[in-house]
Amino acid sequence: MARPLRILHLYPDLLNLYADRGNILVLRRRCEWRGIPVEVQPVPRGERPDLAHAHLVLLGGGSDREQMLVAETLRGMREDLRAAVEAGLPLLAVCGGYQLLGHFYELADGRRVEGLGLLDLETTAGRTRLIGNIAIESPAFGTIVGFENHAGRTRHRHEPLGRVLAGHGNNGEDGWEGVRYRNVIGTYIHGPLLPKNPALADHLIRTALEYAGEPADLAPLPDDLEQAAQQAVLERRLPAARTR
Amino acid sequence: MLGIWLGKLALWLLRLLGRGATSFPGRLALRVSPGLLGRLGGQLRRCVVVTGTNGKTTTASLLAAALNAEGPWLHNTEGANMAQGLTTALLAHTSWTGRLRVRQAVLEVDEATLPGVIDKLPVRVLVLTNVFRDQLDRYGELDTTMQKILDAVRRSKATLVVNGDDPLARHIALEGGRPVSYYGLNPAQAAQPHRDQTRDGAFCLRCGARLAYDGFFYGGLGLYDCPSCDFCRPHPDFLGSYEDGLLRVVHGNRPPQVFRLPVRGLYNAYNALAAIAAARVVGLDSDTIRAGLARFRPPLGRMQPYATSPETVLNLVKNPTGCDSVLQAITSEHGAKVVCIAINDLAADGRDVSWLWDADFETLVEAGDVRLCVTSGLRAEDMAVRMKYAGMAPDAIVCIPDLEGALRFSLAAARDAGDLPVYALTTYTALYPAAAILRRLEAEARPAGATGGRAVQERGTA
Ligand SMILES: [Zn+2]
Repeated sequence: MARPLRILHLYPDLLNLYADRGNILVLRRRCEWRGIPVEVQPVPRGERPDLAHAHLVLLGGGSDREQMLVAETLRGMREDLRAAVEAGLPLLAVCGGYQLLGHFYELADGRRVEGLGLLDLETTAGRTRLIGNIAIESPAFGTIVGFENHAGRTRHRHEPLGRVLAGHGNNGEDGWEGVRYRNVIGTYIHGPLLPKNPALADHLIRTALEYAGEPADLAPLPDDLEQAAQQAVLERRLPAARTR
Repeated sequence: MLGIWLGKLALWLLRLLGRGATSFPGRLALRVSPGLLGRLGGQLRRCVVVTGTNGKTTTASLLAAALNAEGPWLHNTEGANMAQGLTTALLAHTSWTGRLRVRQAVLEVDEATLPGVIDKLPVRVLVLTNVFRDQLDRYGELDTTMQKILDAVRRSKATLVVNGDDPLARHIALEGGRPVSYYGLNPAQAAQPHRDQTRDGAFCLRCGARLAYDGFFYGGLGLYDCPSCDFCRPHPDFLGSYEDGLLRVVHGNRPPQVFRLPVRGLYNAYNALAAIAAARVVGLDSDTIRAGLARFRPPLGRMQPYATSPETVLNLVKNPTGCDSVLQAITSEHGAKVVCIAINDLAADGRDVSWLWDADFETLVEAGDVRLCVTSGLRAEDMAVRMKYAGMAPDAIVCIPDLEGALRFSLAAARDAGDLPVYALTTYTALYPAAAILRRLEAEARPAGATGGRAVQERGTA
């Protein structure tokens, strides 16, 4: 391909709580190993992302204060974001970024922060934080493992990313984790998300290539280490997930 | 009184079993007498507390060494820095009738524990080393940690000794309403960053603007300045310059004092500077401090050499910034080497290993002289994946979850490659097991039948 695949990393200077740097690194390397030119553009705080030239957008999580600054900036371009999402722009939102996609999210003190309203989703504050290793089964991507740490309880009216095998998921009650809508994926799973879940990483690259109008046949990569890491979490930390 | 007896009994039993004093006696005593920490703490004449994300163990140990040159100060052992551990430290110097025999204490205190103990101890001097990201799953988020330290500072009657190069620590000092002495490094030693490292203090906590940096020391520590309000780095009351193991300290208009440091690396120079500044604030003169530092023995896992065959250097890693300073210390020792990294995810390590991706393991690859990377521990596989994406050649990554197996393999490979040094990095719960294994391997490395065979055996079973 002539043009590089362009990944926008939104506000890494604010939203860096859960090592989203790892997600970026995995996407970048898996493109490089296949000879796909890739360009990662960090969007600094206060700046609006140039969606017209993006093929994949990453939105991570931060502390409440930082999250509110991000919400403020992005609310100003809500219509552009909605149009891009409806047109199939791939977007990965993790933790706080996931909550931001909905109508609102609630802080620990009960205040409600208005979200972007891209999805029919809302997040209320729970009294306890849901913390720990998590495994889910996704119809499209198989088993996904990682770590979750959130006080928010999220509910939505879309397709979930997967069914919780062990851990809490969206709200610790209904047994679902994450969301899928068009090419948007939202999830509480970090750890980071992509290194131990290469199928999901490749799905993001594939949809980004399709969105860019490029051939999207991905050559397989040797993923022995990645698979071993996923298996190790299941065996040592989430034995319950394997019997479900 | 029952709490004291139970606690002391537990201490005595642990000693009988050859174990060090941990948090356990204090936990037991506090369960029976919840007010015990306050009762014992109230008997202290003066108390110095060291808190912060990184460097508090080394800083508190250096400070204890300096203060002990003047008279006896009691001190808590590494890692026992929550209420139970503090109680254990006091119990060790308490008579069976409940009287504290040593009336001055230098204590390392966990940031989240600080608000709960600040009213129970007569804290005269409070040292704040820095505020970095640490163990998110324990504290929730960074802002909570800031708030906890600030609450404690406001309720204290302490003089603060604060790292002025850290914008978050500076913010706490400004908002805390207590008298402050700042320490900081010489601006001439600041470097331009070579990579977008994680920077928790990159924003002004007063107005929210992005802080401008003229240079960095390490992590978010550096020469910062807010472009849109008057928040800025203070001129340090204690200004340090570090070179070749010597720290030169200028305090106000007084003549400069030079200290030989018993610890390696720039981040340890920071810790030494904090300890020297605090000892000066307590009232010690430079000669006494120098004499105390000369008697210092470095704590476990700070670039600690073992006479295995070939040599192993053991390091504790626990969060991105601390890990980066260890990686910097390792890559600054040039020459081919083998690296063995053991990552556990137990409660004391932090159950979330996301931080591995914020630490700059790329520097090991860029250094170009790491021949082999062996990964180990309960998260050996995660660490192997991390090194793969850092750019390490897959055939130079070996994953051996069993710690002893990993260390033995590393040493064998290092020996075959021409006696390369092995650098071992471990998280907290793997540190003591690694040290025990390395002591055994030290014993094995001595030629059989050499003199002192009995000593070999003793070391081997230590
Ligand atoms: Zn400002």
